[in-house]
Amino acid sequence: MKLTSLLFISFILSLVSAETHTWYFETGWVNKNPDGFFEKPMIGFNGTWPLPILRAKKGDTINLYLINGFTDRNTTLHFHGMFQNGSSQMDGPPFVTQCPIPPGETMLYNFTLTQHGTYWYHSHTSGQYGDGMRGIFFIDDTEPYPYDYDEEVMLSISDNYHQNSDYLTPRFLSRFNPTGAEPIPDSSLFNETRNASWVVEPNKTYLVHIVNVGRFVSQYLYMEGHEFEVVEVDGVLVEKNTTDILYIAVAQRYSVLIRTKSDASQNYAFMNAFDDTLLDYIPNGLILNSTNWIVYNETAELPGEYTTDLTQYFDDFYLRPLSNTTLYDDPDFVVTVDVVMDNLGDGVNYAFFNNVTYTAPKVPTLVTALTAGKYATNELVYGTNTGSIVLQKGDVVDIVVNNQDTGKHPFHLHGHVFQVIERHPESDTDVISFNSSDHAEWPEYPMIRDTVYVYPQAYVVLRFVADNPGIWFFHCHIEWHLDQGLAITLIEDPLGIQSNPNQALSDDFINSCTKNGIPVEGNAAANSKNFLDLTGQNVQVKPLPTGFTARGIVALVFSCIAGFLGMGAITVYGLADIKDVEHRVARDLDVDIDDDDADGATAFEEGSSSAGEVGK
Amino acid sequence: MVNVFNVQIFFVVFRESLEAAVIVSVLLAFLKQGLGGATDDPIVYKRLYRQIWFGSFLGVLVCLIIGAAFIGAFYSLKNDIWAKSEDLWEGIFCIIATVLITIMGLAMLRINKMKEKWRVKLARALIKTPTKKLERFKIGYLSKKYAMFLLPFITCLREGLEAVVFVGGVGLNSPASSFPIPVITGLMAGVGVGAILYFFGASTSLQIFLIISTCFLYLIAAGLFSRGIWFFENYVYSQKTGGDAAENGSGPGTYDIARSVWHVNCCNPNIDHGWDIFNALFGWQNSATYGSVISYNLYWVLIISIIGLMLYEEKNGHLPFLKSTKLNELNPMYHIKGKKAKQAGLTEDEHELLFKEIKAKRSQEGKIVVVDDADEISSTELTALHPIEK
Repeated sequence: MKLTSLLFISFILSLVSAETHTWYFETGWVNKNPDGFFEKPMIGFNGTWPLPILRAKKGDTINLYLINGFTDRNTTLHFHGMFQNGSSQMDGPPFVTQCPIPPGETMLYNFTLTQHGTYWYHSHTSGQYGDGMRGIFFIDDTEPYPYDYDEEVMLSISDNYHQNSDYLTPRFLSRFNPTGAEPIPDSSLFNETRNASWVVEPNKTYLVHIVNVGRFVSQYLYMEGHEFEVVEVDGVLVEKNTTDILYIAVAQRYSVLIRTKSDASQNYAFMNAFDDTLLDYIPNGLILNSTNWIVYNETAELPGEYTTDLTQYFDDFYLRPLSNTTLYDDPDFVVTVDVVMDNLGDGVNYAFFNNVTYTAPKVPTLVTALTAGKYATNELVYGTNTGSIVLQKGDVVDIVVNNQDTGKHPFHLHGHVFQVIERHPESDTDVISFNSSDHAEWPEYPMIRDTVYVYPQAYVVLRFVADNPGIWFFHCHIEWHLDQGLAITLIEDPLGIQSNPNQALSDDFINSCTKNGIPVEGNAAANSKNFLDLTGQNVQVKPLPTGFTARGIVALVFSCIAGFLGMGAITVYGLADIKDVEHRVARDLDVDIDDDDADGATAFEEGSSSAGEVGK
Repeated sequence: MVNVFNVQIFFVVFRESLEAAVIVSVLLAFLKQGLGGATDDPIVYKRLYRQIWFGSFLGVLVCLIIGAAFIGAFYSLKNDIWAKSEDLWEGIFCIIATVLITIMGLAMLRINKMKEKWRVKLARALIKTPTKKLERFKIGYLSKKYAMFLLPFITCLREGLEAVVFVGGVGLNSPASSFPIPVITGLMAGVGVGAILYFFGASTSLQIFLIISTCFLYLIAAGLFSRGIWFFENYVYSQKTGGDAAENGSGPGTYDIARSVWHVNCCNPNIDHGWDIFNALFGWQNSATYGSVISYNLYWVLIISIIGLMLYEEKNGHLPFLKSTKLNELNPMYHIKGKKAKQAGLTEDEHELLFKEIKAKRSQEGKIVVVDDADEISSTELTALHPIEK
């Protein structure tokens, strides 16, 4: 048969075998004790926590009905890593691609899978995924897996707080936290529990899909006596690379092959450890290195903590995708952003991309793109505080992130995977920014993923092709930093969004907006008459006053005047004559000065002078 | 240069010794002038003179002891108790010092106006020991008698404590060789300024000197009051943020924006050299709060009011609008101690009656009442000479 016929038939076949998954999930609070130390309410689906592992196949259609079972808060859902090509409104971030779902309402997330690999899903409303609303989402390929394995295992790692976001977030974003110190987690979780045992059989190859579903801390994974063979990162299959220590930032995924030993007599430690350089301080009692076990023999003893030199962790930069995608052409457009943390006029510490801290617009950016007509290619209509950048269809885009902060940051781009073409090592002294005429040589087959970390005071260069019309959020995946506004909005081919009927807003979408009182048309200031008029848009807090304000000058002048008047009063008093001063002073000091004996040995009388008696 | 001379230490020591030296030398000069030097009543003069020096040295000694305790805790127990409670200590000391200086300053101004022999008498009376033993321990008595001791003691204690702890290395990372020279030169500079003040004061007209030095004292006291309030507010903010705010620099995050009246990212008295002198003399803060500004102004308003009231009472015999009240009646202790009943002078009516009696007696007896001892000028005669206004 001819090749085209073959392709056609297999295409039809894949369509036929493609399934539709329909899920109904209602959010709600469930009391759980994930780390065994502290019971607290977690956000569950349909009354259970942890959330279910969702699994589907490439080509399948997903119909997830998210029902907001809360009484007092909105919610959203983001499928991390999904391109949502042609379905930008299903992406999840509130005021970017949708209105938040109000309590009691439902939103249908409907999209088709065009990718395969390890992904996850989580709420994109502030604080919620840290409180438990997250789960693994695995998509099988229709092709056979390129690597052999015997069994598949899902593994999530995370950080865990004993307090919920309702308590932590206001205290974090407060003028009493001027350094922006992130709250320290209370424990780490391994598959949403602690001290887990993984029972294995000898001489087997396990394909383990690992997801860091935490909200803050990157973690190391390492095993006693075993190695990891990295085969996939963020849904992208790669050439095998062996390592002893994995370093996984939040939101990143790794799939690894673990080959078990032939000797089944003893058990081994499987450690997950916090990267403590992210922590402001380390409280007493915080367990940084947590022990779990690979159990060959359930009767043998479980080993204690296993330590190793964590500086030898695996650097994902050198991974080569199996697709052998070469470095994209030179960029048509370069987005350069400088990461800075600073305080604004309310004393709170905010995070900035180029002096702008993300402040949500009054109307979701996608709605503006759909309703702005010809103005949709004008960045202005999306607001001046949303970090909005318009991208042309088909452009090769570079994102250069200059991290001027002293902390590591994991950055995530919605709607795309990107090539990581340079990541500069950490700088202890000065900030090192990207210099387009002086940089390392770029790899021929760069690593591709959707979440990448940048080192302190250094930079990273990402490259992708703008082939997905939609509104794509680019932000730090540390939830605290996203709360501080470390995000920009990429508006990719807005006219392309307008011309695709599938991108038109669904009924659920409009329902969420109207129930929240959010208009379904207009610019960032909710102005639908004049899209270029941004009066009333949400802007960031004013900067801290430097130097004297009017109030300060008045205060200083008044104080000086007061001082001078005071000294004047003293001078006047000092120069004035008082009659009868001696007795007044004596009376006031309660001292008898009229009894004047040479030897000074007279009785001390209360009531001072005897002047009241006539003629002594 | 930094290895033998640590500029920060120099300024800290200079500032502390300057404040202490100003107060001590003003007191000394006042004594010298006020009691006429050693000639009028050498015993009294010597005793008060000794009180001042004794107070200063004891203050320095005690602060060395307490400072050593802090330093010991810092190095051996690794517990920086000083840093954790520093603001509280400083605030309390400032308020105590302000109260003391305020009282002393006005007292000194008034005492100055007395004729010399009266001042001597006053000084003598102040240091007299009461016959009844119980009365020796009354606070009122003790604080008056040892006033010349108390003020220098508290001042040297407060100033010295911060200097000792700082120089002792708490929070400092400098080689030991950079300590001695700035400490010695700082002390010399501060004491030198004090000595100049003393000689200037001891040789010019007492009234002028006293007015100028009292103005200075009150400037310092106003600054102290403002600083005390500022320290308390800073303590509260530090507790809430869990850190040592102001010493982290002058930038954002080192102060509470909600309470700020002005903030400049320079001229921080805690870390910028030289500005701590401004802070010591005038209470300057680079980051002023509502509390510190309002307290500064309130203090001056208070002083001006008290002076105004005193002037009025001394001219007119009573407080404005309150014909029968005297200023010392506003003192709650006046009523508690029942001094009212033992009030020295007569009431207005009694004066009037007495005046009439004397007049009657004079005309009756046809002779003039002779006052044989100048010391015994009674209030009757005085009121006769200066008629009472009704």
